[in-house]
Amino acid sequence: MSHTQDKSSALGQGVMIFVYLAVLTVLEFFVAVTFNAISILLVVAVIKAALVMYYYMHVYKLNNDDGTDEHSYQFKTGTNRIGLWLFLLSDAFVFAGLMTMRINLLGLTRPHQLDQNLGLAVTAVLLVSSFFMNRGETAMSYGDVKSFMNNTLITGILGLGFFLGVVFVEWRLAAHEGLIASFGNPAVGPLGGVFYMMTGMHAFHVLTGLIFLGIVWNNARKGLYTAEKHWGVEAATVYWHFVDLVWIFFYPALYLIGKAV
Amino acid sequence: MKKFLATALARGLLWQFAGTLLGAGLVTGIRALMGLSVNDVFFFTEPAWVMGGFSGVIAFLLGSGAVSDWVKWARGMDTPEHHEEPYSGWEKYFHVSLDHKVIGVQYTVVALALISIGGLFALIFRTELAASGLQFLTQDLNLFGQNGLQLYNTLMSLHGMIMIVSILLGIAGIINYVVPLLIGAQDMAFPRLNAFSFWIAVPAAVLLLMSLFLGGFDTGWTGYPPLSVRAPVGMQMFFLGVFVAGWSSILGALNVIATVLRMRAKGMNAMRMPIFVWAAIATSIIALTATQFIGLSFQLVMFQRLFGMGFFDPAKGGNPVLFQHLFWFYSHPAVYVFVLPGLGVISELLPVFARKPLFGYRWIAMSSLGIALVGFVVWAHHMFTSGMNEYLRLPFMYSTLLVAIPTGVKFFSWVATLWKGKITFPTPMLFVLGAIVVFLLGGLTGPPNATVSVDLHLHDTYFIVGHFHDTIFGGFVFPFFAALYYWFPKATGRRMNETLGKLHFWLMTPSFFVLTFGMMRIGLLGMRRRIADYDAALGFDATHLALTIAGYLIGLSVLIFIYNFFASVKNGEKADGNVWNSRSPEWQVPSPMPAHNYEQPFEVVGEPYDYGLEGSQYVKFIAPAKSGHK
Repeated sequence: MSHTQDKSSALGQGVMIFVYLAVLTVLEFFVAVTFNAISILLVVAVIKAALVMYYYMHVYKLNNDDGTDEHSYQFKTGTNRIGLWLFLLSDAFVFAGLMTMRINLLGLTRPHQLDQNLGLAVTAVLLVSSFFMNRGETAMSYGDVKSFMNNTLITGILGLGFFLGVVFVEWRLAAHEGLIASFGNPAVGPLGGVFYMMTGMHAFHVLTGLIFLGIVWNNARKGLYTAEKHWGVEAATVYWHFVDLVWIFFYPALYLIGKAV
Repeated sequence: MKKFLATALARGLLWQFAGTLLGAGLVTGIRALMGLSVNDVFFFTEPAWVMGGFSGVIAFLLGSGAVSDWVKWARGMDTPEHHEEPYSGWEKYFHVSLDHKVIGVQYTVVALALISIGGLFALIFRTELAASGLQFLTQDLNLFGQNGLQLYNTLMSLHGMIMIVSILLGIAGIINYVVPLLIGAQDMAFPRLNAFSFWIAVPAAVLLLMSLFLGGFDTGWTGYPPLSVRAPVGMQMFFLGVFVAGWSSILGALNVIATVLRMRAKGMNAMRMPIFVWAAIATSIIALTATQFIGLSFQLVMFQRLFGMGFFDPAKGGNPVLFQHLFWFYSHPAVYVFVLPGLGVISELLPVFARKPLFGYRWIAMSSLGIALVGFVVWAHHMFTSGMNEYLRLPFMYSTLLVAIPTGVKFFSWVATLWKGKITFPTPMLFVLGAIVVFLLGGLTGPPNATVSVDLHLHDTYFIVGHFHDTIFGGFVFPFFAALYYWFPKATGRRMNETLGKLHFWLMTPSFFVLTFGMMRIGLLGMRRRIADYDAALGFDATHLALTIAGYLIGLSVLIFIYNFFASVKNGEKADGNVWNSRSPEWQVPSPMPAHNYEQPFEVVGEPYDYGLEGSQYVKFIAPAKSGHK
């Protein structure tokens, strides 16, 4: 595999994209708490999504020339990539359905029980985890297994933090604030249902992503990946960024847009 | 018997049974610790049954071995790309196989089994409908915790969903068997995912049937809340079954798209692909994406039942019409999932038996995609009477009428292809022609339903039922049988009996016309659909009796087919050559197909359907490389 850029500039690019994403996230938050213009929030979310898809998920690799030898690793990886992206496309429809439900049931309102600062905090944790994931994958594509393992470990810890933060802190606080009456008998309105369904479906994907990261970390430890052959790492990375991509839209939908009721 | 118990199927079912008990027991134990009730009408409580149903599916997959290679990969072990087939004869069809041809046959046979079950259910409630008044599904009956009327509802609902699943498996069977052969691939792009897609459909079918025994449900196949929120626990098994079957469809579609994008033979550019491959792509685009919406809508009702989340409960501020939007966003395009491969079969076989080039190849290829894409924006025509916003009616009426254009393109092409052809009439061709006529009937009765003013009158009458059965018989059932008669020699090296095949056709077709015209007649006169009984004063008794007799004759014709199918595997006339004198690559090599398909790869050098043109050539086999390098 030939690289058009050297390792340090590839890592530098990851840092730059992270800075852009962080600035956009802060801007988004600022817009939401000051003059709450949904159109601006939408534009910011789309820009963030485009940055993640291009620079972190490397969507352009779908267009790679994989040669014509159907038995080569390169060709098979190209096929796998198409399979993975088709799967993500399908999965995106689940989240699109949930978003449809949210718009239909809540319209231009959002649950007042949700703490905007807490929302920003969990979003930041997920964003930082994506940054380390990107570092890990870049390291692997230059054959640096050790650095890959360290970065993936940090990603996993942050991801676990996000998961536990949503399920054990956010869900509890929301319940305490009266978003649901009690577990097993939620929903004073559809507010609670929408919130728990959207965050729950996302948290489920975070959990599967964590399992996936655990598997590739363990296989990296066994020395199964090289700079040329690491499809498993690439798949886990793209999947992890996809989970982040979903949150780019779910975060403003739950915490930022509309009037708190 | 001992051999059967050792098969993947038997092990999977056993594990599913154990997994269901384990999951249900676990939830029951937790509930006991929390001081909640632990048993209900059907022994376990509803949450316990849901958990049990889910863990049963996981257990089936583990027990059957459909995921064992993936487990090995996760643990860092390598597996060979192709396993040696350890089984032969009937046994290989009961074990997990990675060969797309075996999987295609597995899909087809399970589809035939489910069609038989779904048809049996239809005959049971059709018998009840033969005369006004309740004959045997009466109030006094008590079966599986249901009285006769409830049982009627359950059978009617299950007839719908089991047939839908059987259709999905049927098209997956044909696509799996045929597409890699048509494009010259050794196998599907992801053989393990392919096996997984098939095997996950088996526990899904078991869940659907379980719903019959757990109190059933009375919503019809659509499962609208609020009725589906109150139905017995069988409702949950139905939701879970559809959800799992949906994954079979999604992952199968993913595999088809990846295969066609990556594994076509040399020279097969987009405009030289067989029409059936175009149809498979169009149908897969819908199945890959929209299927998530039916899964989600059913999941939301499941959660509303389990956790009281009021998504569709107006009393809590929810919106029941939202369910219908989510549901129909899949369930309307779903009918295009059913019919597009069938229409592809028609276009694929017609030139073979008319000995003429297919008329307007490009238009046909594009019309499949056109139907698929327009299909995404027509869903609310099922909801003209639902109370949705009135301004939505007009755009959905026009988008629905738009579907008639790409469909009309297909009809013009078929008629023009037949024009002045040297037509022969073996059984597959009879079914192709039958499909065209029946689908035309379905097509002509569609636009009236799409028109708001007419639909307000026809909605929920037997007219809709008649129209729907037309489209599905014309778009799926007839082409499915045509495909089975046509490719049977490729799979087995033998032909199906021609006399029995013709008997099948000439018994089924007139009976079907009686059925559909009868349904539409009483529908126009005001016969409501879904209900178990009707007033004798309406004067529908004679027509209903005719419908029932026609239903039994169709059932008989399918039995003849099934007998013919299994008898011909052993005793059919030998046919290992190009039986139909086709130009398609799979017929240029002897039947049955060897394990890894073409021993020599081929190159596409001409147009696929230039039948009867002097000196035209479609595929050329590439001579094997001389020396052993590579």
